[in-house]
Amino acid sequence: MQLFRSEEDVMAWSAATAVPVGAIFSPEQLWQLAIRWYDDRLELGWRRRTVGERQVILDEVGLTGEFWSLTG
Amino acid sequence: MTAEDAAVRLFVYEQARQGRIPAPIDIAREFSVTPRAAGETLQRLERDHDALVLLPGSPYVWLADPFSALPTDYPVTSATGRWHGACIWDAMGIAALVGASCEIPTACPQTGVGLRVTTRDHELLDAPGVVHFAVPSRRWWESIGFT
Repeated sequence: MQLFRSEEDVMAWSAATAVPVGAIFSPEQLWQLAIRWYDDRLELGWRRRTVGERQVILDEVGLTGEFWSLTG
Repeated sequence: MTAEDAAVRLFVYEQARQGRIPAPIDIAREFSVTPRAAGETLQRLERDHDALVLLPGSPYVWLADPFSALPTDYPVTSATGRWHGACIWDAMGIAALVGASCEIPTACPQTGVGLRVTTRDHELLDAPGVVHFAVPSRRWWESIGFT
């Protein structure tokens, strides 16, 4: 989960490291995910969210499709 | 999760937010238990609740997501502290939890070109570039270090 200068740099990094390209998206989308994903960590009653609850968060920020499916 | 374990988990996170992930001996002092008992609590929080990630084979906290006890390529800085996230997602998570004006001074893994993300409270002020996730979401927890 890294920040690159450009999509072209992701492609070059993938070729150099032999790590396949996964999903490329905007920092703005990741920011929305980070806010929602971690907003409960400083609560005494924290518990790990269920798969369904985590999937809802991904959906809310527009990260949908096979790559983002937590099941299957 | 017992009330005692929940209190230890929250203590770890409150300390992490202040810039220092505690060792078992710190938890032992805070809760008047032995360091061994504190270590067992941390191991239980990892094993039974996925609440922490410990350094393999140890009672020491590696990740209290999004906070990393080890330095990384994703530091987060503000006027009040300095933290590290294991990845850009975690670094943004720290900035969101800290809530103040933060910077994430990092660099493109391929080119080394500096990239600086700036945030304020729940607002992303500036974020160059693109994000890349190599691992599909259902496999994120198979090897959390690589993910």
